[in-house]
Amino acid sequence: MRTIEFTDTEFMIAQGARLIEDGKTIFVGWGIPQVVAMLAQKLYVPNVTQLFEFGAIGPQSVLPFVRGTMGGPQNTYRSLQWLNMNWAFSYSATGYMDYGMLGALQVDPYGNINSTYLGGTFASPTRRFAGSGGGNQVASHCWKTIIVIKHEGRRFVPKVDFISSPGYLDGPGGREKAGLPRGTGPHRVVTSKALFGFDKETREMTLLSVLRGISVEEVVKDMAFRPLLAPEIGEIPPPTDDELRVLREEIDPDRFIIRGEKMSASA
Amino acid sequence: MTPDRIRTEGGVEYRFTHPDDFREHVRDRKGRSPVPKLVTAKEAVATFVSDGDYIVYDFSSLTRGPQSLIREVIRQRKKELWIGAEFTLHESPLLVGAGCATRIDVGFLGYGNYIGQAVCDGRVKAYEWTNGGLALRILAGARGVPFLPTRDMLGSDNMKVSAAKTITDPYTGDPVCLVPALNPDVAFLHVHQADVLGNARIFGTNLFALEAALASFRVIVSAEEIVETDEFRKDPMRTTVPYFLVDAVVHAPFGAYPGAMPARYEIDLEHVDRLNAIRTDEQMGIYLEENIYSVGDHDEFLDRRVGAKRMRELRRRATIVEGYR
Repeated sequence: MRTIEFTDTEFMIAQGARLIEDGKTIFVGWGIPQVVAMLAQKLYVPNVTQLFEFGAIGPQSVLPFVRGTMGGPQNTYRSLQWLNMNWAFSYSATGYMDYGMLGALQVDPYGNINSTYLGGTFASPTRRFAGSGGGNQVASHCWKTIIVIKHEGRRFVPKVDFISSPGYLDGPGGREKAGLPRGTGPHRVVTSKALFGFDKETREMTLLSVLRGISVEEVVKDMAFRPLLAPEIGEIPPPTDDELRVLREEIDPDRFIIRGEKMSASA
Repeated sequence: MTPDRIRTEGGVEYRFTHPDDFREHVRDRKGRSPVPKLVTAKEAVATFVSDGDYIVYDFSSLTRGPQSLIREVIRQRKKELWIGAEFTLHESPLLVGAGCATRIDVGFLGYGNYIGQAVCDGRVKAYEWTNGGLALRILAGARGVPFLPTRDMLGSDNMKVSAAKTITDPYTGDPVCLVPALNPDVAFLHVHQADVLGNARIFGTNLFALEAALASFRVIVSAEEIVETDEFRKDPMRTTVPYFLVDAVVHAPFGAYPGAMPARYEIDLEHVDRLNAIRTDEQMGIYLEENIYSVGDHDEFLDRRVGAKRMRELRRRATIVEGYR
């Protein structure tokens, strides 16, 4: 059997792209989610409408991806509508956004996202990062939020240092009690090794499937909390030739985004 | 800025202006007469930006940001500024590194270790409003109301390190988040076209250009191109900001450099990489000296630090014109 070689980032992006449903709307966050959306639109979901907080409604991004940009001519290209931030968040606040996709620094069993600081206190952090950006609105408003995060144990913690963007907060009913829109919340966590969902009753992160060739134990051993396990753990195929070709040749030829730890799996 | 515009609640500082105080400022201090306001960046920043001011800007570090105005603020060594940082990668490290900014409402704090370390070291205070929360604060300022409600930020820790409040919504009975209006002292808008009176046009998306122009005490527009007023009357759908909101117009070709100006010129990624690589005060000092302090103004910066050849190349790369003018 043929062996496919890829990076952890490439696998995470490919996995994310396979989750997006055609004919739906998705609110796309900065960075990796932008690349996920590009790959998905190119290969799988021509009729997905992407929306960005900088007010681009339904753009068809020009490739390659220009790293770091939000709202440049490349990622607002051929939009259906150009607006601004207050209007962009109106589309999510009224329930028009089926999916939201966000990166994260740290995530906890309830899918709460930290992108603000690590260690110490808010006033005197050990390491400080960019903060919520528009992630808070995306995680608050969209019907289903997909979190994309590298599978590093230290990123999966029992309690995040700071809730930048809300998951299920302290568990069942937490979002409703806080006043967040009913029926919303984290839906999937896409990592560089596995895919997680959330238990409908307890709202806890639940391992759904793992990359082909990786054991459940390998996935959970580094995590600082023990996720629930689905009754049957699925197997995720590695990136396909098409996914890797589009990522490497069309989206990120300079490999600024897709570089990472080398991995391999059977095709 | 008057000190009483800063409020403190539970260790959180925030800016607030009573809507009537802002209205009276507009009545008494903002000119309605269509008079030419074309000035140099040096004059605009010297006249309209003071130490202690709260500044917002539109759009992003890499696209249509008012970078020439930011550099002029640094060149004039303004102090104790407070910035509302959205889509901010480099403005915050530069303004903090240059000793100009001491408070940041986040938004998006900025790119890289330099600004993160500055927060850890306590050189700058950060408050967390989120992008949507900050944009809504500016919209409240623009609507002349003291606050606006929203159904985000709720349940998150941003509520604890901002002055957003949770109250019971009198209509649904559910908790709802309130954010206070923000009336910045100064808004910087970099636009494609403006006339000398201050009518201004942006082609493409924006963060909160009109809201910020309405909500701010003073508005400085920098424009790639100065056009006749008649251009606005021929195509009014494309007017972003009418003249009477604007205090100064600065002609600034390549004003968004090293970022892009959609349909005019592309990002200078090499220069951006230099900014991204700044880790230490020493590196920051070298950057500031070379690109800001050692040149007298934006024109000299373009001539001596960027160069005609580079600018031609960046113009040539701006091949996406569909949707823009």
